[in-house]
Amino acid sequence: MKTIKLKINGIETEAEDRTPILAIAEKLGIRIPTLCHHPILEPYGVCRICTVEVRVGRRIRMVTACNYPATNGIEVLTDSERVRRDRRMILEWFMSRCGHVPVIEKLAAEYGITEPRFGRGDEECILCGLCVRVCSDVVGAHALGFFNRGTTRVVSTAYDETSPKCISCGACAYVCPTGCIKIEDDEMLIRKELPLGPLTPVHIPFMQAIPHKPVIDRESCIHFKTGDCKICEKVCEVKAIDHTQTDHVDEFDVGAVILATGFKDFDPSCMPEYGYGKYKNVLTGIEFERMNSASGPTGGRILMAGGGEPKSVAIVHCVGSRDERHHKYCSRVCCMYALKFAHLIKEKTGAEVYNFYIDMRCFGKGYEEFYHRLLEEEVRFVRGRAASVSDFPLNHTEVGKLVVRVEDTLIGQVRRIPVDMVVLATGLEPQADAKDLARTLHISCGDGFFAERHPKLAPVSTATEGIFIAGVCQGPKDIPDTVAQASAAASQAQTLICMGEIEIEAATAFVNDEICSGCRICNTLCSLSAIRYDEEKKISVINDVLCKGCGTCAAACPSAAITARHFTDQQIFSEIEGVLYDVRT
Amino acid sequence: MPYRTNVLVCAGTGCVSGNSFGVAQTLENEIRKLGLDQEVQVIRTGCQGFCAEGPIVIVQPDGIFYCGVQQKDAVYIAQEHLLKGRPVRKLLYSPPAEKKPIPALKDIPFFAKQRLVVLRNRGAIDPERIDDYIAVDGYAALVKALTEMTPEQILGEIKKSGLRGRGGGGFPTGIKWETCRKAAVSRAVDPVVVCNADEGDPGAFMDRSIIESDPHSVVEGMIIGARAIGAKEGFVYIRHEYPIARERLKKALDQAREYGLLGENIFGTMMNFDIEIVQGAGAFVCGESTALMASLEGKVGEPRAKYIHTVEYGYKNRPTNLNNVETWANVPLIINRGAEWFTSMGSGDVSENPWGGSSGTKVFSLVGKVKNTGLIEVPMGIPLREIVFDIGGGIPEGRSFKAVQTGGPSGGCLPESALDMPVDFDSLTEAGSMMGSGGMIVMDDQTCMVDVARYFIAFLTEESCGKCVPCREGLRSSLDALNRITQGTGKPDDIGLLREIGEVMQDCCLCALGTSAANPVLSTIQYFKDEYEAHINKGVCPAGVCTALIEYQIDPEKCDGCHACVHGCSTNAIIGNVKQVHFIDKEKCIKCGACVEACKRNGILKVPRSHAA
Repeated sequence: MKTIKLKINGIETEAEDRTPILAIAEKLGIRIPTLCHHPILEPYGVCRICTVEVRVGRRIRMVTACNYPATNGIEVLTDSERVRRDRRMILEWFMSRCGHVPVIEKLAAEYGITEPRFGRGDEECILCGLCVRVCSDVVGAHALGFFNRGTTRVVSTAYDETSPKCISCGACAYVCPTGCIKIEDDEMLIRKELPLGPLTPVHIPFMQAIPHKPVIDRESCIHFKTGDCKICEKVCEVKAIDHTQTDHVDEFDVGAVILATGFKDFDPSCMPEYGYGKYKNVLTGIEFERMNSASGPTGGRILMAGGGEPKSVAIVHCVGSRDERHHKYCSRVCCMYALKFAHLIKEKTGAEVYNFYIDMRCFGKGYEEFYHRLLEEEVRFVRGRAASVSDFPLNHTEVGKLVVRVEDTLIGQVRRIPVDMVVLATGLEPQADAKDLARTLHISCGDGFFAERHPKLAPVSTATEGIFIAGVCQGPKDIPDTVAQASAAASQAQTLICMGEIEIEAATAFVNDEICSGCRICNTLCSLSAIRYDEEKKISVINDVLCKGCGTCAAACPSAAITARHFTDQQIFSEIEGVLYDVRT
Repeated sequence: MPYRTNVLVCAGTGCVSGNSFGVAQTLENEIRKLGLDQEVQVIRTGCQGFCAEGPIVIVQPDGIFYCGVQQKDAVYIAQEHLLKGRPVRKLLYSPPAEKKPIPALKDIPFFAKQRLVVLRNRGAIDPERIDDYIAVDGYAALVKALTEMTPEQILGEIKKSGLRGRGGGGFPTGIKWETCRKAAVSRAVDPVVVCNADEGDPGAFMDRSIIESDPHSVVEGMIIGARAIGAKEGFVYIRHEYPIARERLKKALDQAREYGLLGENIFGTMMNFDIEIVQGAGAFVCGESTALMASLEGKVGEPRAKYIHTVEYGYKNRPTNLNNVETWANVPLIINRGAEWFTSMGSGDVSENPWGGSSGTKVFSLVGKVKNTGLIEVPMGIPLREIVFDIGGGIPEGRSFKAVQTGGPSGGCLPESALDMPVDFDSLTEAGSMMGSGGMIVMDDQTCMVDVARYFIAFLTEESCGKCVPCREGLRSSLDALNRITQGTGKPDDIGLLREIGEVMQDCCLCALGTSAANPVLSTIQYFKDEYEAHINKGVCPAGVCTALIEYQIDPEKCDGCHACVHGCSTNAIIGNVKQVHFIDKEKCIKCGACVEACKRNGILKVPRSHAA
């Protein structure tokens, strides 16, 4: 690129050929007012407020700084008397249309306009076109456009109706310099999306995420749909955004591993009797939790799919837990979070709340008290597993409602209770790939939850040295328990690291080279993968560090080539002899 | 078989609306009845230019010119002239001041002073027959350009001719072509040639007439241009309001394709080129080059900043060469007869620099308060006075000349003192007006210059696309001020305000529509400031046009109580018994002037508004 020399307000400077004057002036710290300019958009040049005086030889031209390409030897005046006169007149014109828009009033004051000669209009839109351009050029939604011509020109959507093209991204409101575009929370629109609401393409996965950095969601990012946009790249000053990044695998050498892989929320789609997925107002616990979040799609308001707050809500306990068909165990947390929901619903909407429970399990400090508080808040508790949820009315009170059918075991009757919304207190279940992980790490895994080495004596250790477990991956538990267990696991790992060296098991097995026939039976039997086959010597070799001396291999070896140290046949026989000594004599 | 006599019936839009097709049909029927159909041929030609006198019929080879011919007259012409050889005296043209008619076309002053170059074939050939065009040396220039000349030689010839854009800007065509060719070669992109036939000026119809009377000259010019620039694709952007022109152009393109003049491998020279017609929707701003190209691309016809020229980045970002209809029509003649012949007409010296003068001729549509309205073609540099008084025949009804408006709505009004100025690009610009596409509106002393400015500003306010602030709001504020003045509520500083608005618009508008939009106001303030002052300071419209500043009075001396005015008045504003002097009720009077027309004794006077009212 050619470098050119030019003068701005008498200051000599250099720039790349054909750079817009505005960009050069900004670098020099010379301010030129703009209204229709935005760094992420192509210059449009319609507000004309950035008009400057350019002298090429003896010729004087008034040009717009935002899009006039600088050429060699030009002289620019950004604040000459003629420039000021033109800008003053333009601002008066702006005021004749939008007399009360702050951004215009502020600029007008700078140019000494007290009372505009053409009066003050009441319009809010200055027709800068930023919204139209961002919608079509950046977002690619083409929902906004200019309509009519000349003095009747307006910005609008097609036929002045809610545009189906609008993706509610809010880019137009973001770029609008006068604030005349407002985003309205449309209850219908919000709940028409996922119950959890759409996530913005760039978001921090959750408030506590580590690292606390945003990620780009490929599914909803406009760039991955259209190849355009990349607006985030343009606004990121530190140039941290790279759309070409892909997932990659990193390897680390570590001395200890803590497993905290958590759980999976039970998916109630497999329980058709509750109508999850069929009725829009049947939600799972985590969906309802998200709705209650102040940063959630409804801003923490409890709303039904059709808009409006519910008048009555049912909370169905033990969904997926304590159930022969799904999980026999109790998920431990559902009773308490269901009580929390009941409290929130009462507080936010004052709706009638029904809890359908088998047993209330409010163990531990403060929990039972909370249950009693809810009883006082007049939350209804119906003992009995809810049988079904349907929208089929049997009388006029049930029309347009969801009806929960339940056997109330305290009064011994089948009841039908109509409600507006049903929350399923879904249980916790192991991650789908928990068993694969257990196999990789050589730890045991009962029903999907990882097994600790000893329930009382080694609750965070596993069968494999150096691998610890914490949280729900070990078994259902609530947050305080998880935190306590995690602390324990961390200190165990720390202990290991602090020692610098580890003691290995003395009682390990070893292979007699002379006798081993290389049949490899032991290789597959070792649960710790401590035996490997030496291709050169054609024999099996035991890794002393990994071996725990369980003796399985020694017992299985057909040629008796493996011996477990300190548990040799000879020693065992001697022990037997010793035990039987008195008997014999 | 050659015919003894050709009867040329004008089929331009003006004459067609006067039923010239009916005249032609009757002539043909009559000729057949008289058994002359082997000897006499009726030809429907393009516009003759003398639209004020239409429908026009010319009998060749005698050159007898008939005007105002109606269907019933056609029978006479056939029987008297064609059969018996006696020209029909009552249909001949007589100049208004003289009684003696002028039978021959060449002797009529309207035609005598003209120099037909672009319009050479008007009224001489049938625009719908390519053979007619070829018979008058049509497409000879194309053969020469394609087989004997290199593109560089064509460019050189056009540059040497000093031809400047006839669309209004007056940019040297040769330089434009060369820039376009260079841009295309350096970027290895196919360039495009476009013909701008989006003529939107009120009172201008040059481009329409050229296409209607000689479409092949435009087509030929475009093919030569495409050869010089290296284009394979061409467009004609024509407005929807020109159905006859569009139809004739379409026929011309079809015929040219059939003759192998368009399409692939033209004349076996490996040149491929074709032209497509694109219809505009009639927005005035689409005549502006960038708006036109946006419209061509199917986008909203709005201009963009021209700091990057369309010859480099135009239609779909390809180098695009846009020329006006008249410019294209000039090209074949320059190639055929040489640049020297072209520079022999016109003013200034273009041998060194095309900006040095204006060569060739210019077509004007002469309208307004002039006797001979119509389409004229004159050499550049002819004094304005000759156009208005010799060709135009002066001001009718014995009134005096006040101003002539040139250059369309964005042009300016020139006063009597400017009448001796030569008409060329630079003189007009210097005088505060512009060449524009060639509209020329003559105004007499009954025209109010403030009202004229208001009319043009109102037109431009309607037609402004509204994209940039100075044009949209500047026009609106100008119109407000002009409305105020014409309604007698003008403020003393309005003239200064209008001038400042105009200057800022010239500085700041996005496209040429805006930067030139203030010309009507600025030029009328420059030359007719006294009229503005009369409106503002005295509340008087000197020409008696602005209705808010006048009122009608019945002269009691002249009124004989005939009641004619009462019948003419649509608002019952005239009171009075038969045979008694009548009065006008000022409350009810809407100042339509119908009573003035109705009064046989000129007894109703237009007087300045009385301040008491």
